[in-house]
Amino acid sequence: MLRSQVFAVLRRPLFYRFVSTTRSFIPPSQLNHVGESRPRRSGVQELDAALMQEIADEVEAEEEDLDEIDEKPKPHPESPSFYTGRASYYDNLIELQNAISSTRGTLKRLHLLPLPEFARKSLIPMPTVWKTPREMTVDFETTITISRYRKVIALLNELNEYLRIATTAGYEEIADKISGIVTIFESGKKDAILTRGIRKPIELDRCGRSYTSGRRKTSTARVWMIPVKESPQEEDVDVEEVFGLPQSQSKAPAVNVSVSTILINNFPIVEYFPQPVDRERLVRPLKIAGVLGKYNIFTLVRGGGTTGQSGAIAHGIAKGIFAHEPETGTVLRKAKLLRRDPRMVERKKTGLAKARKAYTWVKR
Amino acid sequence: MNLILRPRLARLSRKCPRQFSTQAPESLETQDDWTNFQQTRSSLKTLMDSLTRYGSHQTSNWSMRNPLHKPAKDATLSALLASGAHFGHASSRMNPNFMPYAYGTRAGITLIDLDHTLPLLRRAAKLVRAITANDGQIVFIGTRPDLRPVVQKAAFRLGEQGFHVGERWLPGTLTNKWQMFGHDTVRSKRIIPDLVILLNPIQNMNAIQECALTNVPTIGIIDSNVDPRIVMYPIPANDESPRTAEIIAGVLSIAGREGIALRQAEEARMRLAVDTAWEDFPATEEAVSEFEKKEEQEDTKPLDGEESFDY
Repeated sequence: MLRSQVFAVLRRPLFYRFVSTTRSFIPPSQLNHVGESRPRRSGVQELDAALMQEIADEVEAEEEDLDEIDEKPKPHPESPSFYTGRASYYDNLIELQNAISSTRGTLKRLHLLPLPEFARKSLIPMPTVWKTPREMTVDFETTITISRYRKVIALLNELNEYLRIATTAGYEEIADKISGIVTIFESGKKDAILTRGIRKPIELDRCGRSYTSGRRKTSTARVWMIPVKESPQEEDVDVEEVFGLPQSQSKAPAVNVSVSTILINNFPIVEYFPQPVDRERLVRPLKIAGVLGKYNIFTLVRGGGTTGQSGAIAHGIAKGIFAHEPETGTVLRKAKLLRRDPRMVERKKTGLAKARKAYTWVKR
Repeated sequence: MNLILRPRLARLSRKCPRQFSTQAPESLETQDDWTNFQQTRSSLKTLMDSLTRYGSHQTSNWSMRNPLHKPAKDATLSALLASGAHFGHASSRMNPNFMPYAYGTRAGITLIDLDHTLPLLRRAAKLVRAITANDGQIVFIGTRPDLRPVVQKAAFRLGEQGFHVGERWLPGTLTNKWQMFGHDTVRSKRIIPDLVILLNPIQNMNAIQECALTNVPTIGIIDSNVDPRIVMYPIPANDESPRTAEIIAGVLSIAGREGIALRQAEEARMRLAVDTAWEDFPATEEAVSEFEKKEEQEDTKPLDGEESFDY
């Protein structure tokens, strides 16, 4: 078998492929033949088994090759960025750049760019959350390093700015086109992340009570607040008349003062907090908001000591005032009453007597 | 109120008049505000445009063409000089093999002879045209930020046959293609290109080496500190000037586009000829079988200049 194959090779001329008149020259790079072209051997070589096997392989390859030589050459790679090795990443980058330049041209023609300061301040805020580098790695099929991510994000932010301008100025077609591109790169958790940190507004129940909670150190307080109902005015008893005393010349104008009650664990405030410091701390939010006698307060408090409990109740009261009257928000926020005080007891450390206190230093 | 506004206006008047107006609103709230804002700007612009013709009279109508978006078909000596293509690197760094293309020295810099550059550029353009006319693949490599848009545009001009590399050429793209692109892609697509054009060859020696190993012809912009023999068709010019690169890449990509157009015209002509030929000779069964017999005989016949051996 090998003998016949060897003689088949020897029968052919050396440069068979290129002498043919029926076939046109196709460069080797366009052929389906995948193996490396073997260098022609010069000089006489002994025909041993290894060499014969090699020649047989070459004959087989050439035979396959000749069959396919008349076929069409292989197609071109689709992407123009094929030789970068990261075709989809660079293609997407080019797409984004083209979108930006075309949108910029359109907005300039519409006199919306460059935008002066006062117009920029009036733009609708459109915060977005972009995909993480990991998610983009899946999309682009290449590892998105931090530098590549920054480039993409810079382009996306510019596109988002143009989207803001187009939406605010009322050009819906442009806005739709841009948002079509931008939504591809937006994170799926965008809504969840944007609504993070926004507090749920506290609703009053059917009786008009607010229910809030406050914390300080290790204490928690549950606070119910209800506005004091103004009972119909009782006729002021004129003391002078009753006792038949001579009438004083000037009568001071009657001042209506509403009186409210504060109950803590069903105890009145004076009983529960004998120290005036704690009472002051508790009542401070009411004073700052200017609603000292306006609300009846019922509290259940647990945990901690006097300072912690009074601080927790104050926190709950501040939140309750904000629920009843949102206009007091700025004042309470400035006084840091709506903020949960994060200070907690610091732990004791090894080698120290207390959290910070060190043992007496001994020279020897 | 006016007293407070006046000093602010004085500062604003230094800005572009399009950006401020004495009746500028504090903020734009409604849709109508935005429309009015746009209208004031557009009316200001039309006013300015109509008044410009009453200003100084320009006698020359010359305007510089954008070399990136609208390059010239042929490079002229004046265009190359204007772009600074004749500036080489320091004479102390001149490569001795560059001597044939050097004009001389001035201010410690080697000046490149543009009388050599122009014919070599035309030769390269002819090569590009011929390759694209034969359905060849051409890769433009320009790995600097200022060269990135140049190679993109040049590749875009060649359509399916144009490719670009704007950032680092990954070593092994051609020599390690199996691992790089995967077995399916290598078997189904053409990986080895038919021509590589380098706009900054010194930074892409890996690419040049791979082209040499895979027998790919190269064209490159050769500066005075570079050996012209690293590429097959050197174009001696300043490799640091982006405008020079725009001119050269423009000339080559337009030549490539011409090659593609030539090929398409040729294909259309052949298709037309084939269609009209079949009208005269309809494909009956007899004609087809005769044709097939002839083909077989030709295949088995020994070729010219060969003796038939009988063992």
